[in-house]
Amino acid sequence: MLNEYYEVETPGQATDTIISTSRLTKAFGKLVAVNDLNLEVMRGDVFGFLGPNGSGKTTTIRMLLGLIRPTAGRAILFGMDNADQLPAILQRIGAIVETPVFYPYLTGMDNLRVVAAASGLQSGKINQRRIDEVLELVELRKQEKLIYRKYSLGMKQRLGIAAALLTDPELVMLDEPTNGLDPAGMFEIRQLIRRLAELGKTIFLSSHLLNEVQQVCNRVAILQKGNLIKQGNVRELLRGSEQVLIRLRSAEETQAALAALRELRDQGATWISRFYTEMDRQGQPLIRVDAPTARSAELNQLLARRDLFAAEIHPYEGSLEEVFMQLTTPVNQPGRRRGMEALASSDKSSSPEKGGA
Amino acid sequence: MSSQLPAQAGSEERFPLPERSSSVHFGRQDYLSVVLRLVGMELYKIRRRTMSKILVSIAAALAILLFVAIAAGVLFVQNAPLENTGNTCPPGQSTSCTTPSPDELKAQRKIAVEALSTPLRLPASLTLIVQVALTPATILIIILVGTIVGGEYSVGTIRLLYTRGPTRTQFLLGKLGAAFVCSALGLLLMVLLGILTGQLLNPVSGTPQTFDFLTADWIGRTLLYILIAVFDWFIYAVIALFFGLLGQATAAGIVAALMWYFIEPILSGILELIGNINHNAFGDFLKAIPDYFISNNMTALLANPSNLHALIVLICYFIVFIGLAWWINARRDVTT
Repeated sequence: MLNEYYEVETPGQATDTIISTSRLTKAFGKLVAVNDLNLEVMRGDVFGFLGPNGSGKTTTIRMLLGLIRPTAGRAILFGMDNADQLPAILQRIGAIVETPVFYPYLTGMDNLRVVAAASGLQSGKINQRRIDEVLELVELRKQEKLIYRKYSLGMKQRLGIAAALLTDPELVMLDEPTNGLDPAGMFEIRQLIRRLAELGKTIFLSSHLLNEVQQVCNRVAILQKGNLIKQGNVRELLRGSEQVLIRLRSAEETQAALAALRELRDQGATWISRFYTEMDRQGQPLIRVDAPTARSAELNQLLARRDLFAAEIHPYEGSLEEVFMQLTTPVNQPGRRRGMEALASSDKSSSPEKGGA
Repeated sequence: MSSQLPAQAGSEERFPLPERSSSVHFGRQDYLSVVLRLVGMELYKIRRRTMSKILVSIAAALAILLFVAIAAGVLFVQNAPLENTGNTCPPGQSTSCTTPSPDELKAQRKIAVEALSTPLRLPASLTLIVQVALTPATILIIILVGTIVGGEYSVGTIRLLYTRGPTRTQFLLGKLGAAFVCSALGLLLMVLLGILTGQLLNPVSGTPQTFDFLTADWIGRTLLYILIAVFDWFIYAVIALFFGLLGQATAAGIVAALMWYFIEPILSGILELIGNINHNAFGDFLKAIPDYFISNNMTALLANPSNLHALIVLICYFIVFIGLAWWINARRDVTT
């Protein structure tokens, strides 16, 4: 939830653009997987890269890492074009692309030794301390001698993160790092991402789990069918979905409150963008007012002046999930209205009124 | 944002190399050092796999059992009853045939034992073990290299490697280097084990090992012979590498290289046959095609190291397969 919101600030470095793409496009035959993508990731960001499955997230990551070539456009990382200076770029990145895969016949420790050699680290015992450190960080010390094919999915994900962190990179790219994990595993990965952010790493986190992203990211980009539909600060995005929820004691009072809100809006209260009622799970009417949460007291005062005393009034800060659904659901679909709620609750009734309409 | 976004000027100043943890120790980053490190990495992986150990065991067993079998044959002949040795008279021909005396039979048996045990001793043991290495044991190197290349795609570790820093060409060179080391070490292991086993078992023949063949010229020719044999293995290793890369699978590398290995001699025979039936230019053309096959040229080169035609043909194969592998590897999108 938003109270777990985490923002990373690295004073003096915030203006450095670590990743910048310009009209990045990838087509597989007639299928355009990524279309004209312009991304910007700043140093110190915990950047959420969102989109439903098949929206082009992994394709974008593959292009950034040079695994596939863009059909058009460019990707600049650390000020270098990845078409020309990929090795120099990759030395500064630790990445997991999709489910991390290692050599099944090697132990976790041996796999990290292989990754160390592939990453340009000195061979021999000299980097053993670093390998121990990353295994410690992802809490795999006890399983370091276990053969990889016997690892659980969560352990595989953590070993992937350990491999990504082996060279102590500036930028960590994680593609769906919590895929297939149980809630405890997801929590562990989130904690780990926070720890990395505290260490000053820039994190590029691709996920379709919006709640997860909301909890750890300060900036996000939302991708749909290969197109970037929104990019920005999480708080700013959520600001557009703030609501005040009001519950009155009876249906009559609810109607009176709606009339009062209508009157207030007609009198020029432009901060009320719209309001509507819906039935909660107990079958009680609930008024949802699309308005800044800071106006909660003002709304309460207005109702009280008309002898309408709310049984319950509380600010609702919205969720990335709702923002995402609003942005990605076609206008004429119910999901457009209130995101996941509308999709999830066919038993709820609602009657929206567009403010200012 | 403009599509003409330039790479930021002075990126080293804006993005100085990061200060990493004191526990991170980078090795030398020049091209050759990186390649050598990758060769080491590949060999480390090979060393740790059970499959490699099984393949080495099979190669070693082949080398040892071959000579054990020869020694067993020698022992069998030595201990066979004298009447079974040499030419005796068939029944009913006693008038025109003189039965050999026991001394003559002993002499005949000695000659047979000496002839049979010759491969236990140098220099024949060397030639024999190389021939064995080049025939059944080539399959082992094909399996090994097909696995180490195709396996990266089959398992999906290719994206783990390609996102670590070295270029794709360096990774390819790393694999080639490892394939060469495996070819050389594998063949040397077989040769040494074979010769050693032959020497250990030779006393059963009662014929001593002599070293009158051991001249500087022989040593030179032998080294060249072994080098050509390594080259033979390496060419099939490169074919397995190419097809493993092309098919992005272990099976592709192994099956295609094995097919090449087995089909060439069959095709040679068929072309020869058709060529002999058609006594015209087309027939001659068909008969000439096998002259450009790997196996025929390798046999020719082993028989005569100064065969320039064979050397050129084999080098051409080598360049074509490595070149194509490099081209595919450098250009291909990694989507596995």
